[in-house]
Amino acid sequence: MSVVLTARDLTRHYDVSRGLFKPHAVVRALNGVSFELEAGKTLAVVGESGCGKSTLARALTLIEEPSSGSLQIAGQEVAGASKAERKQLRKDVQMVFQSPYASLNPRQKIGDQLGEPLLINTSLSKAERREKVQAMMQQVGLRPEHYQRYPHMFSGGQRQRIALARAMMLQPKVLVADEPTSALDVSIQAQVLNLFMDLQQEFNTAYVFISHNLAVVRHVADQVLVMYLGRPAEMGPKEDIYTRPLHPYTQALLSATPTIKPDPLKPKIKIVGELPNPLNPPSGCAFHKRCPYATERCSTEVPAFRPVDTRQVACHYAEQFL
Amino acid sequence: MSLLNINNLNVRFGDAKAVPVVDGLDLSVDKGEVLAIVGESGSGKSVTMMALMGLIDAPGIVTADSLVFDGHDMLKLNARQRRKVVGKDLAMIFQDPMTALNPSYTVGFQIEEVLRQHLGMSGKDARQRALELLKKVEIPAAESRLDAYPHQLSGGMSQRVAIAMAIAGEPKLLIADEPTTALDVTIQAQIMELLLSLQQEQNMGLILITHDLAVVAETAQRVCVMYAGQAVEVGHVPQLFDIPAHPYSEALLMAIPEHSEGAERLATLPGIVPGRYDRPQGCLLSPRCPYVRENCRTERPALDPKAQSLARCFYPLNQEVA
Repeated sequence: MSVVLTARDLTRHYDVSRGLFKPHAVVRALNGVSFELEAGKTLAVVGESGCGKSTLARALTLIEEPSSGSLQIAGQEVAGASKAERKQLRKDVQMVFQSPYASLNPRQKIGDQLGEPLLINTSLSKAERREKVQAMMQQVGLRPEHYQRYPHMFSGGQRQRIALARAMMLQPKVLVADEPTSALDVSIQAQVLNLFMDLQQEFNTAYVFISHNLAVVRHVADQVLVMYLGRPAEMGPKEDIYTRPLHPYTQALLSATPTIKPDPLKPKIKIVGELPNPLNPPSGCAFHKRCPYATERCSTEVPAFRPVDTRQVACHYAEQFL
Repeated sequence: MSLLNINNLNVRFGDAKAVPVVDGLDLSVDKGEVLAIVGESGSGKSVTMMALMGLIDAPGIVTADSLVFDGHDMLKLNARQRRKVVGKDLAMIFQDPMTALNPSYTVGFQIEEVLRQHLGMSGKDARQRALELLKKVEIPAAESRLDAYPHQLSGGMSQRVAIAMAIAGEPKLLIADEPTTALDVTIQAQIMELLLSLQQEQNMGLILITHDLAVVAETAQRVCVMYAGQAVEVGHVPQLFDIPAHPYSEALLMAIPEHSEGAERLATLPGIVPGRYDRPQGCLLSPRCPYVRENCRTERPALDPKAQSLARCFYPLNQEVA
């Protein structure tokens, strides 16, 4: 299998002004994330708001440069790439956003929006572009007459199909989807998720699927990366993470997720408090203030993201949960 | 006599010929009962509750055979009388805690306002009681939060404040409209637990409006499934989850990723909810229903109380043959 996306120690820090005479503060929105993604596979990134999921998406799609670390797309290093090379790389990474209402241009016909990636990146003639657009529209379940319509004439689920079609127009190697179904109803979500899976099989695209919905992630993912406050907490094969989570935060997340088959005998792990302020993260392990197993060591020493069993975990005591 | 009794509620926007947004809804809630209303966007969940609270203005038209809450006929009350009931005995929590609070006043002032208006408290008493309420909803450092403005609070904290305001008048019925949809999973678990413990402590009726079936399975005693303005099935939890009688309930359950674990594709209902102009003549689900038969397309089924489970279907599923 070919690796299409490699991230090494990806980091993104933001300077935040705190006032005229105070020194700038640094928010470590993304702090040392590494992974490899193969063609046709899905990496799901989960975590609560503020954990760095969307910053990761922005770094992967070259919207923002990482502060440090390296990113390779299809074997090509992003840092140090020339302007022309970057333009080429951008064709290989496309993105689908959360809100299908905000991500389409309200003044442009669907056909034109879908044709735009081809207009910019290829030298196809008008007729050829139209043909390609119509083929893609059929593939995502839109009817030919939709070509002439504007976004407001579509429902949320259809708009997300359009957004997905636009992202797939150039047949990218990597598709980054940032909460693509969280604005949709359950039955529509199921339709859109099926479409995601179909397109992946068709084009052998690698997906980075960002979501806070663990049930959805379980359905789509091959690998799961759990993040907390900008740092990776646990990463590994989906089944291992769901059946035997090793990081206390993963355990808490899974336990807090409501299920349609509640088991009254299984006690819920109660997790106290809220996400800490990213401007002033706790010392040691970022999770220790909310962790039921925290010890003295957790408050002083930052746990390394290290291999345990079949995966990687950032917890001093991961072995105890094996 | 149940706490809330809704009989044949209809809500339309426009003239009497307009398509009803809520269509012949019957519903009752007992003291101390948790009833969930589930359905997709546009199914009429929220409009039902707005009609109950008297929040629907012209051109909205609300009609019902009876709309009785705690002995008050809510349709006959004038504005002054309604203000005495709504906010005290009948309280509501909204989806977005950030917009439910007034940004210009402190949290303490907003809670005290309820106490002044409905309980005639003032000055130190009101402040003391507001503090108790903040402690009751488990806000850390409650004393200092009394003087905080809503923008200084996180989403979870704001929702706790909204809950404190709602329970300030010790309501008999609390309506929670998607109370956790805007919150993260671990915070959602905290808020649901808080709501349920308050509900049990004060023996309130609780109507939980949600689109998340998993939340329903974990919290509610009874559930009403709505589709396109109609209640299509009313049943007990967990029976409705194990043996749904209405094809739409079944489809909703099947569309949850958790339900089709390990399957390649999710089961979906084709198409979308009928809109204003394409409302079918027969059963509203007939264009999408996999079990549709001839008479479904021409006649509209009623909620049959004699059936084994209350479902609006000519051919309910999972019925034992008598």
